[in-house]
Amino acid sequence: MELVGEEKKIQTLFSELRLADERTAPSFSATWNRAQARALRPRRAFNLSFAAATALLICALVSLAWWSRHWQRTRQPNVVAIAPSGVVPDLKPSEVAPASKVSPTPSGSEPKKPASAEHRFEVSARLRAERLAARQEANLLANAKKQATAISSWQSPTATLLSSPNDDLLKSLPQLNESANDLKSFLPNTPK
Amino acid sequence: MDIAELKAELETLHSASFGWALSCCRRDRGEAEDVLQTVYLKILEGKARFRGEAAFKTWLFAVIRKTAAGEYRRKLLRSLKLITGAEQTGDRASPEAGPSAAFEKSEVQIRFQTALKSLPARQREALHLVFYEDLSLREAADVMGISIGSARQHYERGKKRLRETLDTAEVAYGISWRRKENPNAV
Repeated sequence: MELVGEEKKIQTLFSELRLADERTAPSFSATWNRAQARALRPRRAFNLSFAAATALLICALVSLAWWSRHWQRTRQPNVVAIAPSGVVPDLKPSEVAPASKVSPTPSGSEPKKPASAEHRFEVSARLRAERLAARQEANLLANAKKQATAISSWQSPTATLLSSPNDDLLKSLPQLNESANDLKSFLPNTPK
Repeated sequence: MDIAELKAELETLHSASFGWALSCCRRDRGEAEDVLQTVYLKILEGKARFRGEAAFKTWLFAVIRKTAAGEYRRKLLRSLKLITGAEQTGDRASPEAGPSAAFEKSEVQIRFQTALKSLPARQREALHLVFYEDLSLREAADVMGISIGSARQHYERGKKRLRETLDTAEVAYGISWRRKENPNAV
């Protein structure tokens, strides 16, 4: 790079600085040897930050795995609860068939499958899910019944104010074909 | 490049590397020594590997720059945690000590270095690489990890600012900073 004017002056100042730095620079061999010694020094086996990061990562992975499993479990009963066999009788057998095929009934009508541990686990999990769904459904029904009863027997708090001893008279109308005596009873101040 | 070749190259560039490390460490000699040592350690351990994508000097200076930045960050963190430099070795020379003390105390150089320190880091780096290390702007841009256009900007602005600072401080370099440019003014 060609330098002109003030650049040459800056260059001169930098050259002076460089000369001074070169005089005070540590020897290469000393720096190199120190670096080599540092390289040979055994590293600390336990790095705290690395251990903390690893622990955090493991925690995150475990919680993710647990959550995904839990999510799958909770999702399965919901499917069953939406269309339980007892509540929806309109479903055709062909529609229900896949679920009934998948879920083994305790009656033992299906042919026995090889009872591997995985299969057994699946079956027990499914049974548990079905039981849970049935319980939830029963609770829902009971709650609905309670609510219906409460609504039908509800009375306004001021209903008693509207009732009086002459309710019968007020609610009934005199008929034309009634006897004169009966009609007199509607008139005020008339002895019966 | 095997380790013997690397060592030979590093030895050739040692003083220039030290100068660059000094610049990157705001002229703190102890820190510059540490940085240079760390750079050699990185090279020895293979953490910094020369792949021949750039000139060796450019690559080495880029490694020094990165290492110095990392050390500076670490130092800042340490100071935030109020951990004083207990790890610092006792044999480290103070910035003012050594045979250069007399030179450092020369007025012109003090003012020049003060002016240099007052520049933004990028501008200081660009000027250092061009004037101190005799690198081209392209090489300086490679070392700084920026485009040549940006490097040129930093270089020009740095020059202008340095001149202004020196003018303000009335640095008497030679006859005079201004007088030399315009002899008729005397």
